[in-house]
Amino acid sequence: MPSVVPSMPPHEAGVLADPAARSPLAASGLGDRISRLLLTYTPLGRLVRGVARLRSSVHFKLLAAFLLVALLVAVMGAISLEIMSRMSAQSDAMHRAHERVTSAGEAQHALAMQMNYTAMALILRDEATIGKILKENNRLNTMLAEIEDAAPPEERGIIQRIRAAQGDVMATVADVANLVRDGKIDQAMELQLASGYPLFQQVENLVEQVVRLEERNMAQQREATARANRHAFYLMGGLVVASLLLALFLGFVTSWTFILPVRHAQRFLARVAKGDFSTTVNVDNRDEFGELAAQMNKMSAELNRLYEEQRTVARQLEGLNAQLARASQAKSEFLANMSHELRTPMNAILGFTEMILDNIYGEVPPALRGPIEDVRTCGQQLLRLINDVLDLSKIEAGRMELSLTDYSVPEVVETARTSLRSLAEEKGLLFTAEVAPDFPVAHGDGKRITQCLTNLVGNALKFTKQGQVTITARLEGNEVVYSVSDTGIGIPADQLDHIFAEFRQVDASISREFGGTGLGLSITKTFVELHGGRIWVESEPGRGSTFSFAVPLRVAEAREAA
Amino acid sequence: MRQKKILLVEDNEFNRKIVRDLLARQPYDLLEAHDGEAGVMAARRDKPDVIVMDVQLPKLSGLDATRAIRAEPETAKIPIIVVTSFALSGDDKKAMAAGASAYLAKPYSPRQLLNTIRRMAGDA
Repeated sequence: MPSVVPSMPPHEAGVLADPAARSPLAASGLGDRISRLLLTYTPLGRLVRGVARLRSSVHFKLLAAFLLVALLVAVMGAISLEIMSRMSAQSDAMHRAHERVTSAGEAQHALAMQMNYTAMALILRDEATIGKILKENNRLNTMLAEIEDAAPPEERGIIQRIRAAQGDVMATVADVANLVRDGKIDQAMELQLASGYPLFQQVENLVEQVVRLEERNMAQQREATARANRHAFYLMGGLVVASLLLALFLGFVTSWTFILPVRHAQRFLARVAKGDFSTTVNVDNRDEFGELAAQMNKMSAELNRLYEEQRTVARQLEGLNAQLARASQAKSEFLANMSHELRTPMNAILGFTEMILDNIYGEVPPALRGPIEDVRTCGQQLLRLINDVLDLSKIEAGRMELSLTDYSVPEVVETARTSLRSLAEEKGLLFTAEVAPDFPVAHGDGKRITQCLTNLVGNALKFTKQGQVTITARLEGNEVVYSVSDTGIGIPADQLDHIFAEFRQVDASISREFGGTGLGLSITKTFVELHGGRIWVESEPGRGSTFSFAVPLRVAEAREAA
Repeated sequence: MRQKKILLVEDNEFNRKIVRDLLARQPYDLLEAHDGEAGVMAARRDKPDVIVMDVQLPKLSGLDATRAIRAEPETAKIPIIVVTSFALSGDDKKAMAAGASAYLAKPYSPRQLLNTIRRMAGDA
């Protein structure tokens, strides 16, 4: 008897063998392995759990992570704008420094030209050249003014000294010019050499100083610009790297905040799917995932409760089943004993009847022969019932076995026909059998096959008031198909399915009219199935029925043991 | 010529009477035993020509009694007709395995029993 409840719940085996159930982190793939190391050996694990524990929705957490990244991008943008403006300022300063160097150069050039024109005036002695001296003087002043605007104090001092000296120069030049106009060239030349030229040289020295200062300033500016460029490069690079790291970090933390509970749930569901209802899923999340886990735990608890309930019921059923089996066994044994006890007197009844009819006790008076034959017929009928009950008890106890030998199909058909011929004659039915005389030798339990056929023929005769009953046996492939057709009352279509169940007749009034226990078909079906065959019926109420069964021509020996 | 002896081992009086009546006008002497042990003793003492052995017997079952009779050299050759009231598939094999010479299922036809006895006694 198969037990209703397995001795071990199915979930206790195989869970550990399932890789998905081992750990929420356990999964193949390099990325996963790296993540596992990070979560196990760095504070990231604690951080992930911390984020999971935050009492806010997944929506909010994702939004916060994206906002942080967006913020970082905004900061990066602002910083790069700042850097760009600083670079632009540097470039402006550079440009200005360059302009000032140019101006200083021009100032130098103007001074040189001024000296040159002064010398030329001494030779050419014309107003045009003297005018050019003034023009160059103006140019020098303009250049100096341009430089002076943004000059450092030291340089400004030099420029003032240039102006002062240039004032002296111009005063001398004016004197020289007047002397030239007056034609006093020698005096003019003398004045020029004595005071004009040294003053020129003084101014020239000073202008030279300004030029050098401006050039130094520009060099410094160039260096500052290069520094600023480097600085900007490092700052931007650092920002890019930092943003990448932060984005990765945020991505890692948020994704694992959600992956961990999903993995937990996966493992949990795998266990539940294997029938382990005692398991729970524990996640740190206090968001939708936490909610989900709580619901799953509720589900698991409910499943566990139902499982326990079912186990309790199953145990009760098992106990009941065992009780029923014992009762059934007792019943079977009782029936077997009863059959045996019934058959002993039956032997005497049938034996004495036969001997009386065989005139062992002297000639039977003709008037008694009829009633005594009736006693014999009824005795045989009673014996068949007893046999059925015995067979049923054997079947129920699971002790029905076939006795396999070679048998002749025509003989089986003939035996069934002979044993019931008198009944058919009494009812005035046409009773025929069709079987090929050269039927191949069959292998099986010939007695049981005969019993099956006799049962079917007995039923057919019983339920047929007029017309005919025909037995046929034919070979179809490797099967012997026995059929019994009648022109009897037939069976309603809705009854065909359970006609082979025990104690079954179409309705109670049938047994009152036709008699019978309803055991015959059930027993016949069992014998046919023990042979590895099948039984079926085709019927039309009012027109008749055809019961057929097919068994292998040669039943395999292995079936005997089954 | 001495009449052949038939030993009937059977516990039921009516079934004994059937055989008694059946053999009354036949040229056989009928010996009766009521249980398996008595059957084995009677076989040893009287050396019957044929034994009719019921299977369901008190004290010693018919199959055990058959084996006991087969085990003794003096009685080993006596033909034994085993009669059972179970008539189950396999009973005939069990009877033959125990040493039966023939097998009859209850309820048997007296005519059939007489034929079998005659055959076993070498009279048929």
